[in-house]
Amino acid sequence: MLSGGFHLADQELLAAADGELSTRRAAHVRAHLVSCWHCRARMAEIEGTIADFVRAHRQAVDPQVPPIAGPRALLRAQLAELASKSKPGPWRQFFHLPSAARAAAYICLIFFVAAAGGKLLFQHSAPHGANSAVVLAEREAIPDRRLTPGATRMVTIGDVCSMAHEEVVREVPASMRKEIFQEYGIVNARAEDYEIDYLIAPGLGGAEDIHNLWPEPYTSTTWNAHVKDALEEQLHQMVCVGKVDLSTAQNDIATDWIAAYKKYFHTDTPLTLRSSVIRSFTRRLSS
Amino acid sequence: MGTLPTDAINALPFPAAAAAKLSATPSEIEREVINLFEQFRSPLLRYALSFGISVHDAEEVTQEVFLSLFRHLQLRKSRRNLRGWIFCVAHNLALKHRYANQRSRDMMASDWTIVERHLDPSPSPEEQVSSTQRRQRLLAVLHALPEEDQCCLRLRAEGLRYREIAAVLGISLGAVSISLTGSLARLIRADRR
Repeated sequence: MLSGGFHLADQELLAAADGELSTRRAAHVRAHLVSCWHCRARMAEIEGTIADFVRAHRQAVDPQVPPIAGPRALLRAQLAELASKSKPGPWRQFFHLPSAARAAAYICLIFFVAAAGGKLLFQHSAPHGANSAVVLAEREAIPDRRLTPGATRMVTIGDVCSMAHEEVVREVPASMRKEIFQEYGIVNARAEDYEIDYLIAPGLGGAEDIHNLWPEPYTSTTWNAHVKDALEEQLHQMVCVGKVDLSTAQNDIATDWIAAYKKYFHTDTPLTLRSSVIRSFTRRLSS
Repeated sequence: MGTLPTDAINALPFPAAAAAKLSATPSEIEREVINLFEQFRSPLLRYALSFGISVHDAEEVTQEVFLSLFRHLQLRKSRRNLRGWIFCVAHNLALKHRYANQRSRDMMASDWTIVERHLDPSPSPEEQVSSTQRRQRLLAVLHALPEEDQCCLRLRAEGLRYREIAAVLGISLGAVSISLTGSLARLIRADRR
């Protein structure tokens, strides 16, 4: 493309300098530049401005760029965590075993099933003790996974940790409460007996979705809504100080919140002096 | 690098390229991602910072970019134009951060502060003053440009080819060429003043 029939256009000069022309066109530009001082001077001016711009751009921003060592170490740690999560599961590993090893594993499995079956039979015939009462209490406090598997919103840690308090503890609309009671087959429910609770709390990225809500009994003496609230508060703080990553917290609370409580509070029973314990735990986290 | 370089993989005939990709275990991919991080972290940070977000947010953007890259490679998705892919993800994340933070402040501010901060307060040689003024003029022109033109210039300054810039910004090849020519013409005019 010639400007005024004699000189190359700026666009072509720049494309030539950037190596963006076809071989044929680039050869034509080179030949023109050899013979034309005017276009060569413009080309030099373009190159000079590019050099000045790059220098100015770098000098303006480079002083803000921190050393790479810390961020690289952080990325390494996060990659290692991601890699460990994506390793093939035990079943896939099992099917990759040589046939002899697989046969041995099958035999062990048969023995294990037989032993477990025998134990179960023995337990069934034995009188129910304190343990079975605890198991029953735990079963009532866990939502039906078919109805409430948990659902999350697309959030970052930043979003979660900057949430206002009223968003973290927001109320479920009455229409949805009714729908959930119906889903669980609860009729004539008294408001004070149940909390329509988020399985994955909003403060952990849980969604206001029927799959993430269930009627949690307040009446249970052991694993009740108050105990779960304490766990939610605890996990929220741990996520925000970087002690637990958000996806782990969501997964743990959705899979079995009672097991998560035991894991994060290091106890097999709900803590009675909850607030004082949380305070001391928070102090430990921040120290 | 534990695995074949991207260009080498792309150059292989299909079955060999597929075999090379399939042989990449997570640890090889981790090494590859770290190598790419070392190569592109500064250009990406500079690019992310140009959106007016804080250094902390820009660091978060780069971390997120390389974690996404890890997942992308782990799922054996396309390795074509990885540099363009990396900048494209950074572009989108930086925009998201900017909107999330509701910091649509003039992008000039950060650069001006830095320029001013790096002016020697003691009486400086005439050349230094003139060079600083020139730099400020160029940055003033840069920040007066429409955002898309600024992105084109910055991406080109970080070494991306026209095709890659077009992919990052979702515009045509011709639009990249016109944008760069127009922006440079304005920078040249500012320089002549």
